Amino acid sequence: MSVQIAGMGWVTPLGSGVEEVWNRLLNGESASAESLSSPLGRDYPVFRVPASATARAPAHPRLRRSSAISRFAVVAGLEALESAGVKLNPEIAQRTALVFAVSNGGVIYTKRFYHEIVESGVQAASPLLFPETVFNAPASHLAAILGITGATYTLVGDGAVGALALKMAEDLMASDTLDHCLVVGAEEADWLLCDAYRKWRLLRSAPPVEPFQQPPRGMIVSEGAGAILLSSEGLAAASPISIEKIASGTNFRKQREAAAAVEAVFSDLCATPPDLVVASANGTFIDQAEQTAIEKHSPNARVYAVKAPLGESVGASSLWQTICGAQALITQRLPGSTEPVSLRTAVVSTCGLNQQVAGLRLTI
Amino acid sequence: MAVVAAGIVSPLGFGLEETLGALREAKDCVSNVTAFPVDRCRCQTAGQVANEPLAEANRYQRHPERLHRVARMMILALKEALEQAGDSQPELTVVGTTSGGMTFGEQYYRDLKAGRRPSRQAPSLIANYTPQKPVMDAQEAFGIGAPCQVIANACASGTNAIGHAFNCVRSGRYQRVLTGGYDAISELVFVGFDSLQASTPDRCRPFDSERSGMVLGEGAAVLALENLESARKRGATILAEIIGYGISTDNFHLTQPDPSGSGARRAMEAALQSAGISPGEIDYINAHGTATLFNDAAEGKAIAELFDGVPVSSTKGMMGHSLGAAGAIEAAISILALRNQLLPPNINFRHGDAGLDLNIVANSSRAGEVRTVLSNSFGFGGTNASIILRSVAA
Repeated sequence: MSVQIAGMGWVTPLGSGVEEVWNRLLNGESASAESLSSPLGRDYPVFRVPASATARAPAHPRLRRSSAISRFAVVAGLEALESAGVKLNPEIAQRTALVFAVSNGGVIYTKRFYHEIVESGVQAASPLLFPETVFNAPASHLAAILGITGATYTLVGDGAVGALALKMAEDLMASDTLDHCLVVGAEEADWLLCDAYRKWRLLRSAPPVEPFQQPPRGMIVSEGAGAILLSSEGLAAASPISIEKIASGTNFRKQREAAAAVEAVFSDLCATPPDLVVASANGTFIDQAEQTAIEKHSPNARVYAVKAPLGESVGASSLWQTICGAQALITQRLPGSTEPVSLRTAVVSTCGLNQQVAGLRLTI
Repeated sequence: MAVVAAGIVSPLGFGLEETLGALREAKDCVSNVTAFPVDRCRCQTAGQVANEPLAEANRYQRHPERLHRVARMMILALKEALEQAGDSQPELTVVGTTSGGMTFGEQYYRDLKAGRRPSRQAPSLIANYTPQKPVMDAQEAFGIGAPCQVIANACASGTNAIGHAFNCVRSGRYQRVLTGGYDAISELVFVGFDSLQASTPDRCRPFDSERSGMVLGEGAAVLALENLESARKRGATILAEIIGYGISTDNFHLTQPDPSGSGARRAMEAALQSAGISPGEIDYINAHGTATLFNDAAEGKAIAELFDGVPVSSTKGMMGHSLGAAGAIEAAISILALRNQLLPPNINFRHGDAGLDLNIVANSSRAGEVRTVLSNSFGFGGTNASIILRSVAA
């Protein structure tokens, strides 16, 4: 089943807005790392979203106490709808689904809530913070702001969760009760995540991120959101980009088995070799797994790894990659190439750090 | 759409048979929490899965020390389901959870704060705390490689998972989908509900006029769904059919349902519409029934408005609220109700709420003609989900 991308929205450490971020990437810009200090005395480089990127967030009561992840999601979601020319009145909102992809979720409030329990005992636990620790809090805020009253789903997973969310959206769109499905992936950065990834030996001590280098030297944690609106034909502004196929992929048990899982996804998506592969390579074991699959299934494709300039945003990353693929097809331009390129198809490969693998194929 | 297999691990017991026995006896499986200190909490009880039998799951993993308790629950629930389903591989797995292996994350943070040197165990805690890991552990134990969609829609997660899986099969896009839900008690979540004063120092008394809150629970349940024709063709035992699913979102408040009950009502109406049946065809409602003032008032109002005297019970009084697992566990209980012509009990019920005109199955299970069941789950974030199950003979 082929579905149409009607609109996109993007919040990243390089700012917000699909056009703005894409142009900055084309200009060869990378996010600047900010140092995030843990109270345990260690500093971590992180690509953070600048405050200016969420200045367009509406002044809605739901965002008063919410965590950064919710603001990222709202700004990206609103941009996706606006770019598609879709206004959600109650009737259209009823026929619109929201699928929200997340990995670590509202980690800042979750850590704070548990920290208070650990430090001061259960009587210090805040009833204001706890609801924001729930994985679907950002989706709930976004649904409330948009007025969505039908289906709202939050999917959790690793870096592949955004692709799985797009697959879920494709399945939902098979129903004639829906006109639109807004897929949003979002993540917020915190030192606790950096500490965890460091102990997992996946973190790099300082930029740059160097995808496909051997040995892999690690990734930089990032944050932000990506949003993609899928619409039934004729119900949104005409878009030239279709998602031709989504491969739900499989799971790998060990890092050394990732290559076989990624290859299975490429095998599914590359019956005809694509012109472009948007890789999830991030400076970890993922790179080697993807390189093997690319060499076998699409050796002549151009390869772009957006996690080099923008970092690893986990729950948001598949959406970011998909936006990059779509933008490359629309603009016929690629970061790193000064000349226009000829691109008709792109495969987005999403291999997560914690066993999930998926992917999708875009056409123009 | 056929349910060809089911497996369950909950405070009521391990497996469908033990669960049925507990339902018949109206067994109260709520006890004092032992996993972490609760002496400063308002609520000190929960429905807890016995640890000892969970050890059986260890033999399905090469490194059992890495398994979270909830992964063990999931392994045993899946094992029971696979014993009925045979070796047919699902094309997709859709499960619900709210917190996965959260206690591993808690342990990681406590170690960090205590300044304990990073142990070799730290990467394992990180990798295995993630919400998707328990279902992948369970699949790995039995050689299943299906992609996993893990829904975290708070307390509606399990029912949302089953409902989405149902739609996937009904649409013809998939033939076989594995579905269910899991969650285990953790300090963070327990204290969270306590801080909201949503949990009770008393017994959990769903729909009672003196209800004062919920108690937490834990567990896992798995259902194997298959296209009805394909299941019949291969001679599979069909436990029940799922015939309808409804989902709604009410945007009233992050933690409170719309007091008008409109969100709950829309989910139930959508499920009835999806099933193509009228409210009069429902024989039993397994309610969300958390025993909080707000949930039971809103849900009770919606049920009373839509249905005329249908027997209603919440089984959470017996085993607590297992959050992301609740919808899956209650779907398994609904299947037991259909197959045994049994109305599961709503225990700890003393006085009906004058504001709620409900036919509560009070305190004891009873026999009844049960052909069609509606099961509700509602959650934080305003997520509401209802599914409808029907006996195969109907």
